[in-house]
Amino acid sequence: MKEHIKKDVVIIGAGMAGLTAALYCGRMNLNTLVLENGLIGGQIANATDIENYPGFVSVRGGDLISTVQTQAENFGAVIDEFDEIEKVSLKSMPKIIETQENIYEADVVIIASGMNRRKLPLPEEKKFAGRGVHYCELCDGHAYDGKIIAVAGGGNAAVDAANFLTKYAKKLYLIHRSEFRADEVSQKKLRANDKVTIMLQTEIKALRGNKKLEEVEVLDKKSGETKTLLIDGIFVNIGVEPNTKLFKDELQLTASGRIPAGEDCRTEIPGVFAAGDVREKQIRQLTTAAADGTTAALLAEKYLAKLKETI
Amino acid sequence: MVKVYTTATCPYCAKVKRYLKSKDVEFEELDIEKDPAAREACKKLTGMDWAVPVTTIDNETFVIDYDKEELDKLLCL
Repeated sequence: MKEHIKKDVVIIGAGMAGLTAALYCGRMNLNTLVLENGLIGGQIANATDIENYPGFVSVRGGDLISTVQTQAENFGAVIDEFDEIEKVSLKSMPKIIETQENIYEADVVIIASGMNRRKLPLPEEKKFAGRGVHYCELCDGHAYDGKIIAVAGGGNAAVDAANFLTKYAKKLYLIHRSEFRADEVSQKKLRANDKVTIMLQTEIKALRGNKKLEEVEVLDKKSGETKTLLIDGIFVNIGVEPNTKLFKDELQLTASGRIPAGEDCRTEIPGVFAAGDVREKQIRQLTTAAADGTTAALLAEKYLAKLKETI
Repeated sequence: MVKVYTTATCPYCAKVKRYLKSKDVEFEELDIEKDPAAREACKKLTGMDWAVPVTTIDNETFVIDYDKEELDKLLCL
């Protein structure tokens, strides 16, 4: 039998947006629960060197997020990273969040569920997952000490992963189907490393190997030439997709699958806010995620105060 | 005895350890970066050159990654 538990605010997702919202809500003495079924920290839990978060010259994602987690918990927010949400009902009053273990009733829900990494869209991906195809350089990078590594992708996450993996790689290929989207600073660092070969406008067509990955076939889109690269492992960072499946029957989503909400983070449902990368917006940075978390929490408090006045 | 093969920097390893602690499951942690024998044992168990986190109870059945459902089945939680 599931227990019914009342909360002022339930925050879905413990990335930078969710934890910042939790910190603010906790500090305003709101009874706050954060539910996260992935990694606390979300995408930045895996980030190696963050150099563009104000106040830090360089900081590991895990260290930064663990500090924000401590701040949120010190202000009384509770973070549950093991219970999984089964369904939500956001239009009701109070809103219902049913997990595997409990049924939460909350006046406010802040959705900060972030993004999930895309998998390599090749049929062989499954065969080689963990056997040469990897998604976490911090977890698996060391296995490729002195080996030939490829990184797929051209955004900040891919280039940062490539920069990190150069400490292990004998040789590293960065393969990306279009042009770089990563920051100039990270690109420059990668280009300066003579172990690295950058292959832009290049598509991965096939993965091959017996028991584990041994080679990739790539297509140079400019010349039309196909090449085979002998590699020991590939780390995939080809983008992310919004984690909004749970809300598709409750909220209208944008074409990209994100939640439409303005700078005030308010969604079409009163008392439901969207914060961080899951919100449709132009700039998605760690700083803007923290800003969204702040905005959502402060406006949630105002919403709750107004709600109490009307009761 | 439950064994968990880990590395120090892997965030999913940390999550598995926190999960086991939250369920009061006692376990032995083996860091495959620091311990070559553990790395060999993990390789033999999974058939993979490198995989973390790996949780095993009998060195026969195992769960790779943080997979709550599979961990619960393995550990009868």
